[in-house]
Amino acid sequence: MTRQQWLSSTGLLIMIIVLVMALILHLSIGTKVISTNELIQSFYAYNDENFNHLIIQELRLPRALIAASVGACLATAGALMQGVTRNPLADPGLLGMMTGGALAVVYWSSFVNDASLIWLPVVAAAGALFSAIIVWLIASRAAGGMTTLSLILSGSAFTAFSGALLAIHHLLDQQTFEEMRTWLVGSLTASHIETLYWCLPWIILGLIGSIILAPSVTALAMGEEVAIGLGINTVKRKWQLLICVVILTSAAIALAGPLGFIGLVIPHVVRFIVGADYRWIIPYSILLGSIYLLVIDSLARWIIQPQELATGLITVLIGAPLFVWLVKVRVR
Amino acid sequence: MLIIRLYKQHISFKLNILAVAFTGILLLLLISILLLSLINGTYQLSLQDALLSLFSQKQLISDPQASLIIWDFRLPRSLVAILSGALFAISGAILQNMTRNPLSDPSLVGISQGAALAVVVLTILFPEYIDDWREISAFLGAILIASLIQLLRGKGRPLKFILLGIGVAAFISAIISTLLTYGNLQSAMTALSWLAGSVHNSNWHDVSILGVACLILTFAGIYQARVMSVISLGDEVTIGLGINLRKTMVIQLSISVAAAAIATSVVGPLGFIGLLAPHLARKLTHSGPANHLLLTALTGAILVLIADLIGRTLFAPTQLAAGLVTSLVGAPLFAYLLIKKQT
Amino acid sequence: MIDSKISLTTNKLVVGYSTPIVKGVDLNIQQGKVTVLIGSNGCGKSTLLKCIARVLSPMSGEVRLNQKSIHQQPAKQVAKKLALLPQGPIAPEGLTVKELVAQGRFPHQGFLRQWSVEDEAAVNEAMQQANITELADKMITDLSGGQRQRCWIAMVLAQQTDIILLDEPTTYLDLKVQVDLLELLSKLAHQHQRTLVLVLHELNLAASYADHLIMMKEGKVYAQGSPLNVFNSENLAAVFGLDAKVMLDPDSTALVCIPNKPFNDKGKP
Repeated sequence: MTRQQWLSSTGLLIMIIVLVMALILHLSIGTKVISTNELIQSFYAYNDENFNHLIIQELRLPRALIAASVGACLATAGALMQGVTRNPLADPGLLGMMTGGALAVVYWSSFVNDASLIWLPVVAAAGALFSAIIVWLIASRAAGGMTTLSLILSGSAFTAFSGALLAIHHLLDQQTFEEMRTWLVGSLTASHIETLYWCLPWIILGLIGSIILAPSVTALAMGEEVAIGLGINTVKRKWQLLICVVILTSAAIALAGPLGFIGLVIPHVVRFIVGADYRWIIPYSILLGSIYLLVIDSLARWIIQPQELATGLITVLIGAPLFVWLVKVRVR
Repeated sequence: MLIIRLYKQHISFKLNILAVAFTGILLLLLISILLLSLINGTYQLSLQDALLSLFSQKQLISDPQASLIIWDFRLPRSLVAILSGALFAISGAILQNMTRNPLSDPSLVGISQGAALAVVVLTILFPEYIDDWREISAFLGAILIASLIQLLRGKGRPLKFILLGIGVAAFISAIISTLLTYGNLQSAMTALSWLAGSVHNSNWHDVSILGVACLILTFAGIYQARVMSVISLGDEVTIGLGINLRKTMVIQLSISVAAAAIATSVVGPLGFIGLLAPHLARKLTHSGPANHLLLTALTGAILVLIADLIGRTLFAPTQLAAGLVTSLVGAPLFAYLLIKKQT
Repeated sequence: MIDSKISLTTNKLVVGYSTPIVKGVDLNIQQGKVTVLIGSNGCGKSTLLKCIARVLSPMSGEVRLNQKSIHQQPAKQVAKKLALLPQGPIAPEGLTVKELVAQGRFPHQGFLRQWSVEDEAAVNEAMQQANITELADKMITDLSGGQRQRCWIAMVLAQQTDIILLDEPTTYLDLKVQVDLLELLSKLAHQHQRTLVLVLHELNLAASYADHLIMMKEGKVYAQGSPLNVFNSENLAAVFGLDAKVMLDPDSTALVCIPNKPFNDKGKP
């Protein structure tokens, strides 16, 4: 084991410890602050007459698990996209996948009568995949081919288009708007643990796929020619990666609505820590994404208590300035 | 080509006859669509009644409602659509020329969002001032955001301006969402309907503000047109031809921001007009810079007028905001331009 | 049309972005001659040209046009005396050749006086000199690289200035097109008494078309004079670190440099 690998593995261990700490923070903070002792107690000596135990097991734990999974999904999806498109500004939200998935979900729940949770991730995935392909097609046919600018512009055009469709749908169907409003800003309030059960297999599939494909992302990030030279079937591999990205993104959408900029922020922080090797970037992104969203969600519940702020707003308020900074530093 | 030389050449112009003809045609088209939008709506009027009430021949009108509907509702509304369309178009044309990027649009680079933020803050936090300060605060907000982006960009390429604009726009949208979600419900609803980009609450006060702005800024734009065509050749050529680049940039950015900000303050952020109008005008005919600006303004006016007409008739009695219609039509056209622009 | 007395000098000129790139240059550009600036990448030749053209401001020292600091004079007045063709200018879409050339008339026009008889005559003459009259109504974007460059040259000619600065006007063009362009430029100087200042990359072309050659190294003028005096292997070695021999082409009496091939084991039997 080289020194670098040793450092990175130790880092991974530290990350896991931080993740546990973030989890504890998330579980104990809230309208009612619950002590760590009682928190741990609720796990090994659950007493259904203790109100605090009930809060933790029934309300906070599901939400914490959802936050952690969503964070992991979006951060990994963002890392993969940035690697494959060689575009430091790639993010599932900027490329229209978020609104695309959201639109699909909104249409699904208002047009299909027995819209059950089982199909929610699949519907979101279909919407996100559809948007990803459209944005990708537009960008790759743009002048000068697929560039940072063309990708982001076609993404924002698509977002504007589906945003207008969403708005029209709301105007014509007030009821869905009422039901969907919190979900659309990106919030974990309304998420149900059942949705997580339906999403979990997809998430695991997506994350494992990303870890397996990570070495070839490193090659792709160095350029198409390099990857071909290393004996990678780039077309096939790009499709596999796109599928991973879509699965992860749509699981996140189904769980928490469109949460912006997580996929952008986390991979950059991770690269800053571990460098350009995707074998490390992916696991770090998974962990840091979870930590980040747990902390953000704790903040969201804490800042204006007893009310709570929509989590999606905080992620954008933190992510957008970082995006601006990245443009300033990374774009010539 | 028509060349005019008067007073020992102290006044001399070269005009493209075809372009002048197209300006006339667009003007006629605008007037016919205006008439169309005056008679169409939830309450159908006859063309005769519409014309008669326009020219105040009250005694000859068969429908007693006509005069009221036209003068209090449809005419101010249509005029606001026309004027704001023209302003957005001029703003976009100048911005595209200045950034040398055919895909710039006031709503894409944060200018509209700046105006929107200022108006939403005012609507929700200081609702008592909204009537008097809306235009000014929109303008200040737009200027602030535009200068912020300029400042961040430094000496970077126009590409940076656009990307930074997108980032800043996302940030502002989040702040606006926060205000809408946690502000007073009634003010939030007011702000929300304004944000959709709608002309349905227009009155004659709006018409007069937009009218004056449109007149001044169109003239300023035409005055700057010669410089605009030089600027499109690049910074160094511009300096070589004896233009003070920094001063010119400030002037043109001010015109562009003012146009977008004033239009936004009245009708809300109307997407894609500033982007599409210059392209469509260029598609129509080849023309000199000043004439192109006029054609662009007319195209923008026609686009918004049609968008409003469609928005209020297609799903009647539900009225779709004109801004939603322009986004629905504009986004695919934008994608088409993105693909098409092979240079 | 052309002013008979015009002078362009630089005085202890220091230019740069955050750190100086041009470090104290004194020049006296000769009228009606082709002056060529050469030097390795980053030596400051383009920066110097940009400062003379007022794209950059000096950090200290000054550029003097007719004994007055060029950066203090009204921009439009200077533009009637001195024109710039930058490196790789942008050709906007939807502009015909004639419209592009007409842009060169900007400093001579006003808001009400946009297209006088003089403007028309100057544009036609410029297109004739650049040999693009038959392309007048074509779109710039439809032309080849060499034709495009001729259009740009016509644009600066239409500006009717005594002095024309050109930053690497021949880069990315075929050799034949480069030679054609330089023939055109040297004709302008020698037959129409324009003063030309060029930055060139191609050493042999620089040596054969320059009346006055300025060799720059690390922000300073290393040597200047007629090519016969300064274009030699010692200076080439000092300025470019290039090991080359300089020979006189017997037919054209132009100087050519030929790099000495570093013979190694592989080349030898």
